Amino acid sequence: MSASATPQVGEHQIVLTTSDNATLPVDREVAERSILIKNLLEDLGVDNTEAIPIPNVNEAVMKKVLEWCEHHRKDPPASQDDDSDSRKKSTDIDEWDQKFMQVDQEMLFEIILAANYLDIKALLDVGCKTVANMIKGKSPDEIRKTFNIQNDFTPEEEDQIRRENEWAEDR
Amino acid sequence: MASRSRSRRTERDISASRSDTSASTSPERGVEDDDNDSLMFQTNDSQSSLAPSISPDSDEEALRRAIEERCRVSPISRLPAELMIAIFSKLSSPADLKHCMLVSREWARNSVGLLWHRPQTGKWQAIKSVIATVRRGDSFFDYPTLIKRLNLSALAPEISDGTLQPLSNCNRIERLTLTNCQKLTDLSLTAMLQGNRSLLALDVTGLDSITDRSMFALAENAVRLQGLNIANCKKVSDESLEAVAKSCRHLKRLKLNGCQQLTDRSIIAFARNCRYILEIDLHDCRNLEDESITTLLADGPHLRELRLAHCWRITDQAFLRLPLGATYDALRILDLTDCTELQDAGVQKIVQAAPRLRNLVLNKCRNITDRAVLAITRLGKNLHYIHLGHCSRITDTGVIQLVKLCNRIRYIDLACCTNLTDNSVTQLATLPKLKRIGLVKCGNITDRSIVALAKPKQVGHGGPVTPSVLERVHLSYCTNLTLGSIHSLLNSCPRLTHLSLTGVQAFLREDLIVFCREAPQEFNEHQRDVFCVFSGVGVQRLRNYLNTDTAHTRRVLFEDEGTMYDEDGEQPEVMDDVTAQANGMGIEDMDEDFGEDSEMIGEN
Repeated sequence: MSASATPQVGEHQIVLTTSDNATLPVDREVAERSILIKNLLEDLGVDNTEAIPIPNVNEAVMKKVLEWCEHHRKDPPASQDDDSDSRKKSTDIDEWDQKFMQVDQEMLFEIILAANYLDIKALLDVGCKTVANMIKGKSPDEIRKTFNIQNDFTPEEEDQIRRENEWAEDR
Repeated sequence: MASRSRSRRTERDISASRSDTSASTSPERGVEDDDNDSLMFQTNDSQSSLAPSISPDSDEEALRRAIEERCRVSPISRLPAELMIAIFSKLSSPADLKHCMLVSREWARNSVGLLWHRPQTGKWQAIKSVIATVRRGDSFFDYPTLIKRLNLSALAPEISDGTLQPLSNCNRIERLTLTNCQKLTDLSLTAMLQGNRSLLALDVTGLDSITDRSMFALAENAVRLQGLNIANCKKVSDESLEAVAKSCRHLKRLKLNGCQQLTDRSIIAFARNCRYILEIDLHDCRNLEDESITTLLADGPHLRELRLAHCWRITDQAFLRLPLGATYDALRILDLTDCTELQDAGVQKIVQAAPRLRNLVLNKCRNITDRAVLAITRLGKNLHYIHLGHCSRITDTGVIQLVKLCNRIRYIDLACCTNLTDNSVTQLATLPKLKRIGLVKCGNITDRSIVALAKPKQVGHGGPVTPSVLERVHLSYCTNLTLGSIHSLLNSCPRLTHLSLTGVQAFLREDLIVFCREAPQEFNEHQRDVFCVFSGVGVQRLRNYLNTDTAHTRRVLFEDEGTMYDEDGEQPEVMDDVTAQANGMGIEDMDEDFGEDSEMIGEN
């Protein structure tokens, strides 16, 4: 993928314009991992040559997302009942995806937001699993440190919640 | 969840497009919170601290800057509630969810709904803690309304009205499971049902103290009910169930087995009012007569599963009265065990009316003959499961034709069909997908049958040869059988996990019996003496033993038991061979079988 100022658009390619006005040519098949883009292209018809504006995603994030789409371009479409046992498989992340998700937190959450906006369910899922794995097994204080979160409970409130949820232990 | 999150997403998209960053910010979250689960909390102050009233421009600007700063310091705060919930839903451990609740107010709001969706109730200590929280008047969140699933069956013997009563303010429960909590009475159950309009499924199997009062309470409240299991609630009568039928019109799955008072009146009410019934189990509802069955079939276009075992009064008329030419394509499973009045004419009509039947159980329908079996052959490839046990009038003619025309049969039971000979079994042995075969007390069959079963299958003419997929073989009281044929069966059926040979003299040997399962406790001495069932690892051990025994030309028995069936020691060559063949089987085939299996488990 070249990101030069005047991108060469191939036959099966389309162009995306990001929030910071970068233009990214991309294989249609790759871009269609995004249901949002897929539906847009369907609405526009086959001959569309105009750039598709993606006003919610900047260039850096979009490139990262397209890298994922490129790697997963041949994946079969997700089935409807994928959700059913996804809770149990929270740690299962494919090796390539794990590496892909080794980014700073800012980028990680931007990828999740973009995946949600662009409607790329599998990428959103990997993102959520990655964050879940960062939470697993940690104490509340360790979680706060990991994500830099301010504790806005009073000690009494914290105590109350602890008491009210006493039953919740490891399965 | 999926459709809801989509609508929220659109909302976010619109608002997000106003800003030029891809980050979603907190004020939008305030809007979204209005329709998510986590909003059901009592204290509202945490939210107001996030999104204070926005009137003057300067305040708005200050707030925007504060949020930007927060997102810079803590990037995770860019995620809207819906995405935080998506992340938390990947956490399977309640302990992790509890830790999330303790992180901050916002995290608590987004995780509490998931944690309380289905509280842990497997241990007494946990139940007590849940009850204590639910009873608090001043709790941090409105926990009772967050509980969607409650299952107290793990501690059933200890659950009393005193346990359930305090939970009666949990009135948004969707699935309430109280299986075998026999101490429960109408007192707590009616309190539990009162005011709950969300209930989708109720399981009160075995609560034999509950009466019509509970069922009337159900009828008054549970308008969305889809699943009802009141098996063996013997005090429940037609009167209350008629009310349930009239108000719970979305019912899909009904288990009323063992509710012995029921008559056609309530069943006809269900048939007439609940047009979406998929499954109904009425076994041991012994007062039922033909009319209810005719109505269930005629008025229930979606009916998939109908269980009528021991409904003795049912006759051919139940089916013969169905409208001429009408077919019920949804019907897959029909259990008529011990409906002794049934005759060939009834079976013929059943097959005509339900051409896509997959499981047909005619166990102990003693009057039926080969004419019925020939009718059944019309089910062709649809038939997977057929039980003809104790149909002692049927002969080789019927069985041979059945096998020829219904070659997808996976399960067949012909127990006590005493006319059958090796000719039937030789034909049965050609079924490519046969997994379970029951031939108990088919006294005529000999080793010839077993050798046929042991022969590898050829799929089609000139097709590939595959090893047998047999898993369960029941041969008790087939007294002619000998060791040799069973030995070759063991070696050619790598998937075999159950082999019963009770009462077969050739196996009642000390050295073989050691691999047997324990006889059930309730068996008397004689029964114990002849009991001979190999299952699971027992099958494996028997196979290894016989192979070793042969190879070492009958080495002195019990000399050193350890070497006889060394579990991780070398395996006889024959075994390796079959296993390798089994591994080479078509993947498609395996998938189909697994699908079938899981379905069977669901159904039984």
